[in-house]
Order: sequence, then structure tokens, then C-alpha cells
Amino acid sequence: MRFWFGLLLAAVQSAQAFSDAEVRAIASHGPWPPAFRADPSNRVSGNPQAIDLGERLFFERRLSADGEQSCSRCHLPERNWTDGEQRARGIALVDRNTPSLSNVRLQRWFGWDGAHDSLWSQAIRPILDAKEMGSSAARVAKLLRADADLSCRYRKVFGPPAAQDEKLLVDAVKAIAAFQETMTSGRSAFDDFRDALVKGDKAGVANYPESARRGLAIFIGRGSCNTCHVGPAFTNGEFHDTGIPFFIEPGRVDPGRREGIKKLLADRFNLLGPYNDDRKQSTATGTKHVVLEHRNFGEFKVPSLRNLALTAPYMHNGRLETLREVVDHYSNISPDRLHSDGEAILKPLKLGEGESKDLVAFLESLQDGGNNYRRVALAADCR
Amino acid sequence: MKRWLLLVLLAPAAQACELPGGPVQSINSANVAIAYRMAPLRVGEHFAVEFAVCPAPDSVTLDAWMPDHRHGMNYKPAVAALGGGRYRAEGLMFHMPGRWELVFEVRAGGRTERLAQSVRLE
Repeated sequence: MRFWFGLLLAAVQSAQAFSDAEVRAIASHGPWPPAFRADPSNRVSGNPQAIDLGERLFFERRLSADGEQSCSRCHLPERNWTDGEQRARGIALVDRNTPSLSNVRLQRWFGWDGAHDSLWSQAIRPILDAKEMGSSAARVAKLLRADADLSCRYRKVFGPPAAQDEKLLVDAVKAIAAFQETMTSGRSAFDDFRDALVKGDKAGVANYPESARRGLAIFIGRGSCNTCHVGPAFTNGEFHDTGIPFFIEPGRVDPGRREGIKKLLADRFNLLGPYNDDRKQSTATGTKHVVLEHRNFGEFKVPSLRNLALTAPYMHNGRLETLREVVDHYSNISPDRLHSDGEAILKPLKLGEGESKDLVAFLESLQDGGNNYRRVALAADCR
Repeated sequence: MKRWLLLVLLAPAAQACELPGGPVQSINSANVAIAYRMAPLRVGEHFAVEFAVCPAPDSVTLDAWMPDHRHGMNYKPAVAALGGGRYRAEGLMFHMPGRWELVFEVRAGGRTERLAQSVRLE
């Protein structure tokens, strides 16, 4: 009797329509995909020839000190532009998990700590970092000048190469950024549901699995996950301490955003510097006004949730292996671990087994139809 | 004479404040009136606030916080005086939906007054 009553209750609950406020909350996660908007700080953003050059440089191992590393070594297309490893490994083991590059053009800050304010300036860090590609402006410039094909393509985008190596490095990362801007995920089951709901298309709404629908109700309701995972990309682009340990290893901590802001403000490639192509510096508002606070210690960027199922393991240090572990983390989070002077947002959700599965089902419904990246057939030699 | 005195006593201590250029919202206290205008807000997008303070103060700052979350913005706005008691604050951003509070701190005649306005963001 109790079993049948439970089934009936579940059926009634699932048949309930979302409230107007819930529909508005769901609608705010679309439409998808967003229209392309060129990055004013990068004069070659959206330029097809720059995208072509950037794609070649993204996969180019000769940019690295040991000739073995490239951007694509950690950002694999078939893994939603990450690598499946707990922590990235270039020339040496890196401290953090490789973030996905999917939809990266929609971000405001780049890197887990937001130490960079443009996609192109972010690309400089792994190229120069001794643990990642260990390269130099001189090495990058030499390749762009000496390799006949790359040199030809560079000239088509930027004109004759400047004498200063650093300028060529910046041009190279602007081309790489132009390519990275093309990494957009496709539509998901959630997007079809969201659009059907907005249009009042009952048949379309009915196609969305019940489990994902219940998980969505938790996501925008009791879970308040959409406090930080907002908008079409499911991120507010900012930073939070979610109770993940700071320690990289015994005696060594990762200060996260607090160090990221310091690095950002000290970075001569930031948007307040001479390499910003946006003369009006309309893109630099965040950098001008960002403020360093004690609470930034241990904060890391809120990641997008799109194609999340493809980007395991999770969190800035990759310590959670599955989506279920992520859900369990928020279900059992310890308020004592969070900053006492910080946000009173996170509290243990104490989800039941079915609720946890539903939330995972919703997160999995944010996955698109599959890897839509196809490396373009290499064009004929540049002339 | 009696009529003048009565009018003064009935009038609000802070007179209505004007901000040319379209509809405004206002906050008043016994001593200060503020008229302000801002574009429609969206979570995670920078915005500016234009405002006028009456009577014109010695200085004014604008900040915002989420009382329920006990945190402020991740950005420090800059307030530029435009003259005649008018100002423009830039660099604000509400990075979460929910209830925020805009807080104006007005300094005049050696006193500081704090005027707050709730803003709910979906």
C-alpha cells in the first residue's frame, strides 16, 4: 500500500508544472548557443585566417622547450578540451586540474584563480610556465620567423613580424585565442526542454526525462545551485570557496583567487597594459575595479556545467572523480570548514539517494550530442 | 509670517532631488535626498549608477552587499563627481541573484549619513 502511495505521489509531483518563478529561472539558462561577439581586446578575434593560424599553434609542439608539449597535450578535443587527469602534466606535474576550454570565450576571468583577464593573455602563462611548456618569447618568435608556412600565415594575419620577440608572442596567443573562441558546445537535452518550456510546447517538455526534471527542480530550488551557476553557461564567472581542501601536498597550500588577483594586477599583459587592442578599455572594467580581500583565499572559479559529464575529475584539484562525488560533496559539506567571515550560502543539502541520482541526471542532461570539433583539413601550403 | 513657519515645518528636511535624463528612483532621509538611475541589471555584468545628492555633499561613496549572504561585491566602484551634486559610479557588479543592498555614504558638514536601498535580482 505504502509503495503504491509513494508511486502515486511521485507521479503527481512529476506532473506538477513549474511555477512562474521557476520557469523564469529555467529560462535564464538559455538560449543556447549564444551569438558570437568578437573580443575587442583582440584585433584578430573572429578573423578566419587568425583562427587557422591559432589552430596550428594550438597543436604545435615546437612551441615548447622540450618539443613534446602543446596546448592540445592537456586540452584534448575528445575530452571536451580537458585531459581526464587529476592534475595537469606538462614538462612536470602542475598543481591544478586542467580546466575545459569549451565555451571559454564567454568567461570574464581565466584560469582557476582568474589571474588573467583575457583569453589571449591567459595563453601566455602555460607557454612560459616551466612546469607546462617551459618556452620563451624568443622561442615562439623564432618559430614564427623561421618556419616558412607559419611565417607566411602570420604575415597574412598580422603583417610583417615586429622586431621585438614579445610582440610576436602576443600575436601568437591572440591567434590561439581566436581559435579557442570557436570551441562552443552544442545543444543539449536541457536546451530542448528549456526552449519547449518557454514556448509552451508540452510535447517538447514531455521529452525531457523525469529524473533530470526532478534534478533541475533541486538545482533551482532547495539546492540553490543556480546562485553561482547562473545564465546560459551555468556560471557567474566569479570565485567561491566550496570547501575543497587548500592543500596541494603537506605544507603547501593553493591560495586560489587571492594570489590570482595579485598576479593579475602585476601582469603587464593585462587589459590595462599596452597590448589591449581595445583603445577605450571597455573590456578592462573588471581589472580596474577588482578588489583583493581576505576571503579570496581558497576561492576558485565557478566552472561552467555544460558538457560536465565529459570533464571528470572535478574541482580545481581534480580530487572528486565522478559527478556523484560532486553531488555528495555538496550534500554533506561541512559549514565549519568554510570561512567564518565568508558567505552563508553553502549548507549541507542532505540529499536522499533518489535526489542525488536525479541531480546527477540533470547535470548529465547538459551534455551536447557529442564532440563537434573537427580539425580542418590542412589547407595547401601558404603562399 | 505664521504661514511661512508652518510651511517650513511641514516640508521634508531633504527636498526632492532631480537627475535630468529620464525616470529615477529615490532614497530620502531627514537630511539627504538621493535620486539615482541605472540600466536594467543582469547577474554577472558590470553596471554604472548615475545619481544626484541634495543638498550637494562634501563627498559620497557607493557600495553594495548581500545582507543574507554577508558578503559584498567583488569590485570596488569608483565615484566621479560631475558637478552640481551629480555623480557617476562605475565598476559595480552583482555576481549572484538575490537581495542586494545599494549603500550610499554621504559626508556633509562633518557628519556621515548612510542611505541604503534594497534591490532584488533574479
